[in-house]
Amino acid sequence: MAEPGFFDEHIDEDGRTRDHYRPVQEWFDRLTLEQVKALEEQRNESFRRQGITFTVYGGDEGTERTWPMDLFPRVIDAEEWAMLERGLIQRVTALNRFLDDIYAGEQAIVHDGIVPRRLITSCTGFEREAMNVAVPMGARCLVAGIDLVRDGDGAYRVLEDNLRNPSGISYVIENRAAMTKLLPAAFSDLAVRSVDHYGRSLLRALRSIAPPACGDDPTVAVLTPGIFNSAYFEHAFLARSMGVELVEGRDLVVDDHVVAMRTTRGLERVDVIYRRIDDAFLDPVVFNPHSTLGVPGLMAAARAGTVSIANSVGNGVGDDKAVYAYVPDMIRYYLGEETIIPNADTYLLWEEDQRAEVLERIDHLVVKPVAESGGYGIVIGPKATDAELAEARQKILDDPRNWIAQEVVHLSRLPAWAGDHFAPRHIDLRPFVLSGEQVEVIPGGLTRVALREGSLIVNSSQGGGSKDTWVLGSPDQSGAEAQS
Amino acid sequence: MRLDICYRTRFSFDAPVRESQNEMRACPVSDERQQLLSYRVIVEPSARMLSFTDYWGTRVDHFGVTDTHTVLEVTAEASVETQDPPPVSIGPPLETLKVTGFRDRHEEFLKSSHHTDWNDEIAQAARSLAEANGQDVAGVVMEIHRFVGEKLSYKPGATDIGEPIANIAAKGVGVCQDYAHLAVALCRSIGIPARYVSGYLFSSNDRTGSIDGDLVRVQTHAWFEAAIPGLGWLPLDPTNGLPVGRQHVKIGHGRDYDDVPPLRGVYSGPGTPKVDASVEIRRMDPARPPSTPMQPSLLRTVQAPRTRQQQQQQQQQ
Repeated sequence: MAEPGFFDEHIDEDGRTRDHYRPVQEWFDRLTLEQVKALEEQRNESFRRQGITFTVYGGDEGTERTWPMDLFPRVIDAEEWAMLERGLIQRVTALNRFLDDIYAGEQAIVHDGIVPRRLITSCTGFEREAMNVAVPMGARCLVAGIDLVRDGDGAYRVLEDNLRNPSGISYVIENRAAMTKLLPAAFSDLAVRSVDHYGRSLLRALRSIAPPACGDDPTVAVLTPGIFNSAYFEHAFLARSMGVELVEGRDLVVDDHVVAMRTTRGLERVDVIYRRIDDAFLDPVVFNPHSTLGVPGLMAAARAGTVSIANSVGNGVGDDKAVYAYVPDMIRYYLGEETIIPNADTYLLWEEDQRAEVLERIDHLVVKPVAESGGYGIVIGPKATDAELAEARQKILDDPRNWIAQEVVHLSRLPAWAGDHFAPRHIDLRPFVLSGEQVEVIPGGLTRVALREGSLIVNSSQGGGSKDTWVLGSPDQSGAEAQS
Repeated sequence: MRLDICYRTRFSFDAPVRESQNEMRACPVSDERQQLLSYRVIVEPSARMLSFTDYWGTRVDHFGVTDTHTVLEVTAEASVETQDPPPVSIGPPLETLKVTGFRDRHEEFLKSSHHTDWNDEIAQAARSLAEANGQDVAGVVMEIHRFVGEKLSYKPGATDIGEPIANIAAKGVGVCQDYAHLAVALCRSIGIPARYVSGYLFSSNDRTGSIDGDLVRVQTHAWFEAAIPGLGWLPLDPTNGLPVGRQHVKIGHGRDYDDVPPLRGVYSGPGTPKVDASVEIRRMDPARPPSTPMQPSLLRTVQAPRTRQQQQQQQQQ
């Protein structure tokens, strides 16, 4: 039954299964306990065999775990997806415009008084070293991951933007591959939109930002920090699915401001680098001088226009959580539109009156550090101890620019397997948005689920799992693209 | 004053190195007080140059040498015409520092940074100076300038790049870079926006600023600028207690040294460099052409990097 405060994805207020969940619900209703357990075992074995794992940091050392995918899929109907798609394209378009304005434009949004200058200069992700480095078509968020949740009324809200190195797309594709194998019959009555074209779409977007002078057949490479990185599996996966080289910093060399990779055939020029290395480690000449992961001279090559880097350097100024609060203003300023998917209600703690209110009500709010990702450093007021709240208050007072507060969003719920039965668990959604010649949204995205009962933390680094996400095709889309 | 400047750094490695990538900030900026007349850079072994203006408005020359080498020498030659700045008038009252627009514009020059991370002692000293002497911002800045000159004794080699400013203040010794960082830290700790300036000083003695000839052989120099509401940036040179004048040639500014180092870079290979850095400045009187050609001088060995890949930094003195 629906519980007040939470939106249930699959059942309505009267406890009836929603139309777009009906085929899935009926299919799962027919499964016996033994059948579910067998499917779970099959799934684990398959992920283990393929080495689909992730690393949890913290504690003594990183722990390697098999990817936890829940069997019960999330379903989004065509009309709802159309709205989300429009909203995501709108948001990422505005963020691209913003980043290009800040780094390669006249900072018009600052001069026009829409955002204060100190909002930019105080961002830890604002990279002055990237100033005036042009990016073809201004496609700075080549891959964006926008985290969405549904509030108590079922309305979608943007919880945060991930514009630096959002990860998770490989799990979207692997989840789908696993589900297709495990539950082929479940797809039979539905036109579920495909996600396995991601590699082609990513390659097309990357090639579209190649320096104009490099000709019709630009060379793309994926730059990884190496096998010890928690997302190495994804880096390798993406290079393979695009059919391009996976390289580490030591495989690249810059000569006369041109980047080349060492191959068995000798040096080969690289035109576009999809880097999964953080800005700080990308080029020891201008960033962390002790970094051995990066490529000395890479920033100068990008500045010279001989190579394009995706995502662009300095995108942290776009996904800082204090900047996030201004995204609706950016959408109005750059696009002349109202925001389609609103933000969660957010307080900026450097504003005295907002800070006072937050300190008063901190036990009802969520407090987040502005520049972190992955759920690190978050304090959930209603669940925090007095000591944790006191510590959060002190941290806010010490450095108000470094924190924001948000109203608690009561994440929507969907059944997940809880050992011997399906029980409601909280979920969010990270759709992936590609920017190149146009902005494209991959249908669905990564649905993350808090597997612990009552938990609102969906990050895989903190005990979260995932679900395959099915976007239903409208009747006219059920042909070529749909998967049966 | 017309000054010709020759900045030169030579790395001599004891074993071959390769894939060297470097950034140089040695070019005088053109602003209200000085005009750049000519500038050129020569690198040996030869390398393609990428020149651009960075976020702070400083010209950067980037060059890489991929092939194996044991010597790398870079030379920058500049001609510049300098003037004295207009005299400082009495600045506005201290309350003007709190105006939101002013603070918003100067946010990055109000925060502590790696080299200007002040402690309670520094903040307390700045507060005392403001309380005892200042009703106006320019007056307090002048007091800070004077205070730094008294607090520190000029002593080359007594401090390292990267040494915390609180240490330097406690030791009471330093070179021009330390004087500038301490002044910047003092200003910021009481809400006066301040920035670090890298440049050249035409003087045979950084400590006194005296001029006793037309040719000096020196190192790069550093001073600071403080933002005075309504008046702009006030440049002062606490190392010698002088206001910044026509002897001073500005390269650029930033939050601290890290934003405007004369030379930084990395290389690969086992070699350890001996670094010779020099600056030669000649006063050019149009009526009296130079009698001797400019001679590069290789005066001083500065910090020798030891690790395989290491930043090549020079202390400003």
